[in-house]
Amino acid sequence: MQSWTSRPAGNALFALMLCLSLLGCAIQLAPPYDKAVVDGLNAANTEAMTLLAEVSHGTEKATFSKREEKYNALIGKLEALSVSAGARPMPSNNVAEAINKKLEKRGTLEGFQDDDATPPSAHAIKRIAESFEKMRNHDMKVGLKPGDVQAFKGQIAIYFDQAITYENFLKR
Amino acid sequence: MSIDVGQLVNEIKTAASGVLTADIATVRGFSQRQLEAIALQTHVVATGIATNNISPELQDFFLDGLKDMVTNFTRTLKGLMAVTIEKIWNAVVGAVWNALSTAIGTVLPIPKAAGTIPAP
Repeated sequence: MQSWTSRPAGNALFALMLCLSLLGCAIQLAPPYDKAVVDGLNAANTEAMTLLAEVSHGTEKATFSKREEKYNALIGKLEALSVSAGARPMPSNNVAEAINKKLEKRGTLEGFQDDDATPPSAHAIKRIAESFEKMRNHDMKVGLKPGDVQAFKGQIAIYFDQAITYENFLKR
Repeated sequence: MSIDVGQLVNEIKTAASGVLTADIATVRGFSQRQLEAIALQTHVVATGIATNNISPELQDFFLDGLKDMVTNFTRTLKGLMAVTIEKIWNAVVGAVWNALSTAIGTVLPIPKAAGTIPAP
């Protein structure tokens, strides 16, 4: 039999639990970790850097046919990876919206067109694929200067760092 | 059947600072690498255009690339911060629910907020 003194304590505990269940929920603000994307990215990174090292002294359009297959295979892999990385559902909840509103109010996001529906890694991988496509087409048309290759390599390495860091960070 | 508030505060602090220490080191390292690489890329593109070492047909592509990679760098940073906030929030909620479970002697499952993606 319950004593009258324990009843208020029980009510208070129930109220506390109710508050916690309403306010203290676990949240998810980023997409889930995907090992297949991480493994694919690491493999593509090695393949990309190998190809860039091969052409670091520049190329002649006459020898393009030797590289064409490598370009196409790499572009295909990167485009598939970009789709996989972007296909995961991005969580949308009150906490994420509150953070965005706070940043907008502070002017932090002023002039910053953000696409919250696409992970930054998916965008980076897409830009790597586009860079290799541009590089392949220029190689086929006139060949590449060493300066072209250096600029492509710098751009591609920066996007790889963004994609790999973000995807590894999702492992939590 | 009571909660030691002082102990709970310490557990929350430990949980949050553990996440922060590890994540800030990663974010700091990433920012440093990116800023150095973007600065170097800016130099490579500017010098390449000035000395004609970069083909004229590719110059606009690399200039647009600089702008886009800076934008995506900030988006990546925002994404990393979102993950860190998520981890801290969940660590704090976990500590609170753990204390509550201990106090009432029953394991309480931590509820998930609306919009949360269910685990596969």
